Amino acid sequence: MAVSLPVACFIAAVGIGILVEAAAGVFKMWTYRSPPFVLVNVVVVFGLIQGYGVGWVIGGHGALRGVFPVLFMVGAVLGILIEGLNQYLLHAWSWSDRPLFGISRAIDKSAFVGVAWGFAPLFTVLFARLIVKASMGV
Amino acid sequence: MDVPRLSFMDRLHAAILAIGGSGLVCAYWIAFFHSDLTLPKFVHNVDNPDVVRLATVYMGFESAFPLADLLVAVTSALAAFYLIGRDAKAVLFGLIASGALGFLAFIDISFNLLHGLYAPANLFSDSGLQMEAVINVGCVVGATWSIWRLWGHPLRRAEDRPSRLRAMETASLDTAGN
Repeated sequence: MAVSLPVACFIAAVGIGILVEAAAGVFKMWTYRSPPFVLVNVVVVFGLIQGYGVGWVIGGHGALRGVFPVLFMVGAVLGILIEGLNQYLLHAWSWSDRPLFGISRAIDKSAFVGVAWGFAPLFTVLFARLIVKASMGV
Repeated sequence: MDVPRLSFMDRLHAAILAIGGSGLVCAYWIAFFHSDLTLPKFVHNVDNPDVVRLATVYMGFESAFPLADLLVAVTSALAAFYLIGRDAKAVLFGLIASGALGFLAFIDISFNLLHGLYAPANLFSDSGLQMEAVINVGCVVGATWSIWRLWGHPLRRAEDRPSRLRAMETASLDTAGN
């Protein structure tokens, strides 16, 4: 059965989200205030917002060559917004004392991870196209 | 952490950085790749070979901007993020964002002037070019205001420490009161 690109974007983004959360759990980078927040982050933020929203809406039509910077730009800006909401308002997750790539302050970790969110829609679109091709047996 | 309250002007500045420097830049490029909203009318003219040649050059020139605008959008968002947290890095990222925004605006203005796109006859007849002129002016004014404000901001000398910032503000209030 052939998978459509929007569905593939959602699946790819959720897959990336699961990998990121698993890696964060293994290296104890951040902890959630309550377990449902992990689910919300993977399904809503990764899957719906960065995957379906940014990945499909911006990168799901036509050639990818010119649109790559826009995918990263929108993903990173939304990422910084999400990290800012958590840092100043929601406090859904908190940073451990372990440095992240040499960064020790919580606010700097949030900013760094906010920018890194830019890679989520980028890889989502790449993986989603592979999923569609694999589903068609190409 | 004991963080001093944000002033009204800092809130306004953070909102301008987040909405103008990040949000509108993202919206512009989404529209550029998915609609004709941002394109001047002359690029649709296929009758005149000279205009077609200029449209090809114009589209090639515009297509080079997303990577550079990525720097503006991300550093603007970071500046707003740090400004809300009353962190000194707001000044660093704000100056990078404003400097880059001004630089890109002047390149755009220079291209449009040199190719006659801002000649009154073209400007008055093409709503796309009018929008571009408004964006160019907005970028130059916004970047200049942001640089001017950040250069005199107390966070520029605060060394990342909200407690020190508060001490500086208290000291300046005491000085003003004496």
